Amino acid sequence: MAKKSSASSTGVSRPSWLSTGHIFTYVVLCIGAVIAIFPFFWMISTSLMSLGEAQGTRLIPSAVHLENYANAWKEARFSLYMWNSVRITFITLAGELVVSILAAYAFARIKFPGRDVLFALLLSTLMIPAMVTIIPNFLTVTWLGRIGPIKWINNWPALTVPFMGNIFSIFLLRQFFIQIPDELFDSAQIDGAGHLRFLWSIVLPLSKAPLMVIIVLSFIGTWNALAWPLLVTNSPDWRPVSVGLYSFIDEAGQMINLMMAGAFIVIIPVLVLYFFTQKQFTESISRSGLKG
Amino acid sequence: MAAWLTPRRVRQWREYLTGYLMVAPAVLLIFVFGIFPVGFALFVSLHKWRLKRGDIIGLTNYTNAIGPLTYLLVFGLGVGLLVFAFVRTRHAVKENKEGGLRFLVLNVPGILLAGVALTFIRWTVLLLPNVLDIADKIRGVEKTRDLFMQLLQEAFTTETVLAARTTMFWFILAAFLAIAVTLYFWRTPKTLQLEFEFAVNWFLIGVGVILLVYVYGEMMTAYNTAVQTGEDPGFLPQLISIASGLILLFIGWKLWHRAEDQPSNLMFLLRLGAAMVFVVGGWIMIGELPVIVAAGDPDLWVGLRATLFYALGTIPFQLGISIFLAVLLFQNLRGSQMFRVMYFMPYVTPVVASAAVFRQLFSNRLQAPVNAGMRLLGLDPLQWLWEPKGIFQLAALKLGVTNFPEWAAGPSLALVVIMTFSIWVFVGYDTVIYMAGLGNIPRELGEAAEVDGASRWQVFRHITFPLLSPTTYFLTLISVIGTFKAFNHIWVMRLDAALGTTDTFSVVIFTEFFEKLRYGYASAMAFILFAIILALTFVNNKVQGSRVFYG
Repeated sequence: MAKKSSASSTGVSRPSWLSTGHIFTYVVLCIGAVIAIFPFFWMISTSLMSLGEAQGTRLIPSAVHLENYANAWKEARFSLYMWNSVRITFITLAGELVVSILAAYAFARIKFPGRDVLFALLLSTLMIPAMVTIIPNFLTVTWLGRIGPIKWINNWPALTVPFMGNIFSIFLLRQFFIQIPDELFDSAQIDGAGHLRFLWSIVLPLSKAPLMVIIVLSFIGTWNALAWPLLVTNSPDWRPVSVGLYSFIDEAGQMINLMMAGAFIVIIPVLVLYFFTQKQFTESISRSGLKG
Repeated sequence: MAAWLTPRRVRQWREYLTGYLMVAPAVLLIFVFGIFPVGFALFVSLHKWRLKRGDIIGLTNYTNAIGPLTYLLVFGLGVGLLVFAFVRTRHAVKENKEGGLRFLVLNVPGILLAGVALTFIRWTVLLLPNVLDIADKIRGVEKTRDLFMQLLQEAFTTETVLAARTTMFWFILAAFLAIAVTLYFWRTPKTLQLEFEFAVNWFLIGVGVILLVYVYGEMMTAYNTAVQTGEDPGFLPQLISIASGLILLFIGWKLWHRAEDQPSNLMFLLRLGAAMVFVVGGWIMIGELPVIVAAGDPDLWVGLRATLFYALGTIPFQLGISIFLAVLLFQNLRGSQMFRVMYFMPYVTPVVASAAVFRQLFSNRLQAPVNAGMRLLGLDPLQWLWEPKGIFQLAALKLGVTNFPEWAAGPSLALVVIMTFSIWVFVGYDTVIYMAGLGNIPRELGEAAEVDGASRWQVFRHITFPLLSPTTYFLTLISVIGTFKAFNHIWVMRLDAALGTTDTFSVVIFTEFFEKLRYGYASAMAFILFAIILALTFVNNKVQGSRVFYG
């Protein structure tokens, strides 16, 4: 009632966004937006400046120097690092999806002794801070590389395998799988489909939304990871783009324009993903409560 | 034979097997890289381990980090485990009034199962170094499967490991027998469940007792060495004083808490008075803490202090700004979607990149954007990320006070820049969460209040804000834990010029590990971090019960 009347009254007199309260709101929101956006604006604008301008106080470049991007790309060896990050993301994701889908399905739909205790045990690992596990994991990975047929350090296994068993992804998928009605499974069973068949042809096509969330989170995780890749890579062969940019920041020194071009290059893929899958992206991150 | 092999049973077993096989990869991976590392980190932290494994040195890494306080904490942990086991047992007794004898007898398999767990741990701990050594033995020679299997077999069959394995086997055998016998007499599902519950209790008791005995020995050794070498053995009385101070504080808190329930005013006042005495007394006795603390590693305390500043300087601001923005955005004005996208952008951006931008924005160059802005406003440029001096100290210097006390200097300006970055990043995230929280509040409440003549501020203060308290609680918890985990952006923005004033706890641990290669010491620190996070979660849960309003 109250809502309706207020809408009609403002609608008659003047547009709703013109009232004093709303103007105040817009001013505050705009100030917030400027603060949120200014670093991006400055980064892009500086990345287009000549070196002299970039070191000065200008906010807008007098001439656009697009070649900064080419130079940064070459000097920071971004082709290699980007390719590495893509490879790492892809391998991690492939493993993570297979492992999580299977486990989440079993935790959600198959009854076996000890299931709930096991799930609770796995969930409790979310409490453990990364700094506790990083040292022993480094030792484990080194050990595995020394005794096994392929090396782990400076190679894809160390960068991907530890992240394939992700309890958060399992949790997310399980919550979704639980909601799938039992009738679907019963009818599939009558038609002679086993668990795997049911999972593949009925559950997965229904689960595009949570799978998208996992893909987005995994992508961001790989793109953000710093401490672990720093530890397990000591040559550029498999170094991901975050570490590449980190070392480029030091190498570039005073060449701020190149540094900002490099930073923007690293940001672009994530921003593209963000703008295209914006709703799911926001939802997935805010639902996860953890990042990187 | 065929009686129990019915088709139904077979189908059920197949179902179980499918389930186990499907979770197997996940369980294996999470166990190897998520659960086992906790034990492994504990193992490493008890060693002198600089790049390579050295001798076992017990709690030395911990005493190096936080001084004799270690003894008190381990002691407290041991007592805590015993109390926890006691509470669980009492709970079980209350739940099962019926079976007196059965109840007692079921403890036997419980003890044996706890024995299995303890002997298994012992066996693993003895085996682990042998297995780790394989990597060194295999170095330089050609890697073959046969060689590896042979070395692995050797690792499993050294004398101590074999002896430990035999004890474990005996315990397993005895536990099996005991379970079989009890199941024969009391064939109910409850029997097995009770046995496992007792096993957990006895395991807790076992670990607690081992910890207490061990820490007592260590403490006495330390005391005796101190006496012999002529050092000051004063830490022992200090520890006792602190421990009793803590107990007094606890009693005081309990009295205070119960004072409200007292029927008469006099009793209420008496209770309050007693509580005050206890609290003050406890506080005085804890006064020894700084002395004890001084014996620890200054780097760690600087790191803890930086973490504390970081938490106090980011969380309130971040939550305050975002609740404000969320309420504004929630009115669903034209373009609010666009604002949301913009506010969320800092959070989405890869941290290394955005931290690199902030490093330039807050550079100490005169032409750097922030300094340029300062000069535009007629202010003096600052060193920003290059500045190790505390902000209050800087303010005092500005006013001409040169002998400003060190302890009141506050967070360094460099840390404040990093805190600003953190607020900039997380406001977007918090706003999104707050908006989700606002979506759960029924509109009618606010509208009814407005009809009654409440101002917008009153609606916010008395309706919106209290109803948002679960969200606020969730965000506070996440942010406090996040503060202790904060790493990436600090690692990118920390500069040598800031003299380590920007290093929070996680960063201190990582430098010990990555730069100084002190694996054992870094693991000990990581465990202290873990303990702090667990304690904070515990306290948060307690507070949540009394303060959060779930409408």
